[in-house]
Amino acid sequence: MTDAGAALIGIAGLTRRYGALVAVDNVSMDVGAGEIRAVIGPNGAGKTTLFHLITGVVKPTAGHVRFAGEDITGLPAHAICQRGLSRTFQLTALFPQMSARENATLAAQARNPRRWLPFGGGNVFTQARRAGGAALELLGLAGVADRPAGLLSHGDQRLLEVAMAVAQEPTVLLLDEPTQGLSVEETAQVVETLSRFLEQSHVTALLVEHDMEVVFRLAHKITVLHRGAVIADGTPEAVKADARVQEAYLGGIE
Amino acid sequence: MRWPRALGLAFVALLIAAPFGLPAFAMTLLTELVILGLFAMSLDLMVGYTRLISFGHVAAYGLGAYASGYMLLNTSLPLPFVVILATLLTGVIAIGVGWVCTLATGVSFAMLTLAFAQLLYAIAFKWTSVTGGSDGLAGIPRRAGPMGLTLLTTKTGFYYFALACLIGSFLLCRKLVASPFGAVLRGIRENEAKTVSLGFNTRLYKIAVVAIAYALGGLAGALYAPFAGFANTELLFWLLSGQVLIMVIVGGSGTLIGPILGAAFFLLLEHQLSSVTEAWALFFGLIFIGFVLFAPEGIWGLATGWVKRREKPLAKVRLRD
Repeated sequence: MTDAGAALIGIAGLTRRYGALVAVDNVSMDVGAGEIRAVIGPNGAGKTTLFHLITGVVKPTAGHVRFAGEDITGLPAHAICQRGLSRTFQLTALFPQMSARENATLAAQARNPRRWLPFGGGNVFTQARRAGGAALELLGLAGVADRPAGLLSHGDQRLLEVAMAVAQEPTVLLLDEPTQGLSVEETAQVVETLSRFLEQSHVTALLVEHDMEVVFRLAHKITVLHRGAVIADGTPEAVKADARVQEAYLGGIE
Repeated sequence: MRWPRALGLAFVALLIAAPFGLPAFAMTLLTELVILGLFAMSLDLMVGYTRLISFGHVAAYGLGAYASGYMLLNTSLPLPFVVILATLLTGVIAIGVGWVCTLATGVSFAMLTLAFAQLLYAIAFKWTSVTGGSDGLAGIPRRAGPMGLTLLTTKTGFYYFALACLIGSFLLCRKLVASPFGAVLRGIRENEAKTVSLGFNTRLYKIAVVAIAYALGGLAGALYAPFAGFANTELLFWLLSGQVLIMVIVGGSGTLIGPILGAAFFLLLEHQLSSVTEAWALFFGLIFIGFVLFAPEGIWGLATGWVKRREKPLAKVRLRD
């Protein structure tokens, strides 16, 4: 375990039980600033639940999440997001009838202290539109910005979700299976765009992913979950070589 | 959207000119229409812009009506002040109502709003010393003032007062839905979970919109009591909650102006059909079903859609010039 003071995100003993089922079992991990960390594991390993616990969607049964030295365990989801952790969802979550630009603008508006203004708000909108537009540009969506989000291709919808998180200028980007449900070609395109963006921005990112190629392409470090518990933690090479990981997860593939 | 604007202005001009051309009984109907239109429009903030379906919007109407009726009967405050106070009172109480109702979502939210309305209905029956029980409050005056101003005591004067309230509220609502606050409401309407995950405390926004919608519904009620001269438990009966919801949907939810047209449509149809048949509600029900099935965008949606199509005909493939 690394020094907790140096980590941007420090997770200690995080546990979530649903009756007899332990979805997340005493998970501890540290993510340093600027690191791209992937959380992998077979179906039902607890990856998405871990994300829900970090972002406040689900409250933990036990354990703590610290962010930048501050305990954020059990805070409501909107409050955690306001501290600079922006996330995407495994199943695409957008405002389908709004254009891609309006989606990104609303995401950026959330970061404005005057986001609630009940009248006027020209400045709020101008700022948000600028940030939203820049995020769309970064993820290669400028060409489809004025189309309703619900009518975008599946790959573009996944990228739009990332763009909305990026429009919030987050400290940590949490991506829940960004290539979920995409074809091979779309996956390649999304991974290409994502890796270019992550390299340029140096943002800290936490990534849940199923697709091993995507993981080895993007992540600096990998944490492997199995039945809710951490069974390995380290560089992609080390994790690939780990016997327990091969048995639990990679065995069938490699 | 220049067309709807021109149409709206023409509409307002007609409403302002109405007292010069219409007979007295028609003016009574028109005043009621303006009040009911305001009531329906207030619900649109919740239903059309936030997708917060309320089955208990009469709570706002009845509260406003009883509050203004009670103050006109028992104090010497002039009419405009009474109306403002009743509006504020309804809005403040609605903060509590919104706080409780937003503990739930969807159908449960709608049921809680209904429960609150039924609670007020029961209170209006039992708290005889204030509400007059089953008799209600009768002989509510349109008092003169402030400063001896008697304009509002006349039928025409009161009509203009109600019309000013409607137009003022409409402009206020339009500002509201175009503001950053309004953008968040649309986010809640389309995907509340996502709106939360973007960092918006959606519950506060929902409580706020409930309070504003109730305050404006209360304003409509506060106008109704001195208009009709009475306030009784019928103004808190659940049937009216359903009717106002129908007005919003038939008129076109999420448009502000649509619900006003829906209220007009409802009232005129009731007026015409009820003189022909006892079963007028049946026909209105059929019309409502027709709208839901074939024109879910409502009267205003149909009208603007038609204008837009005429302005911009769809491009067609032409094989020979």
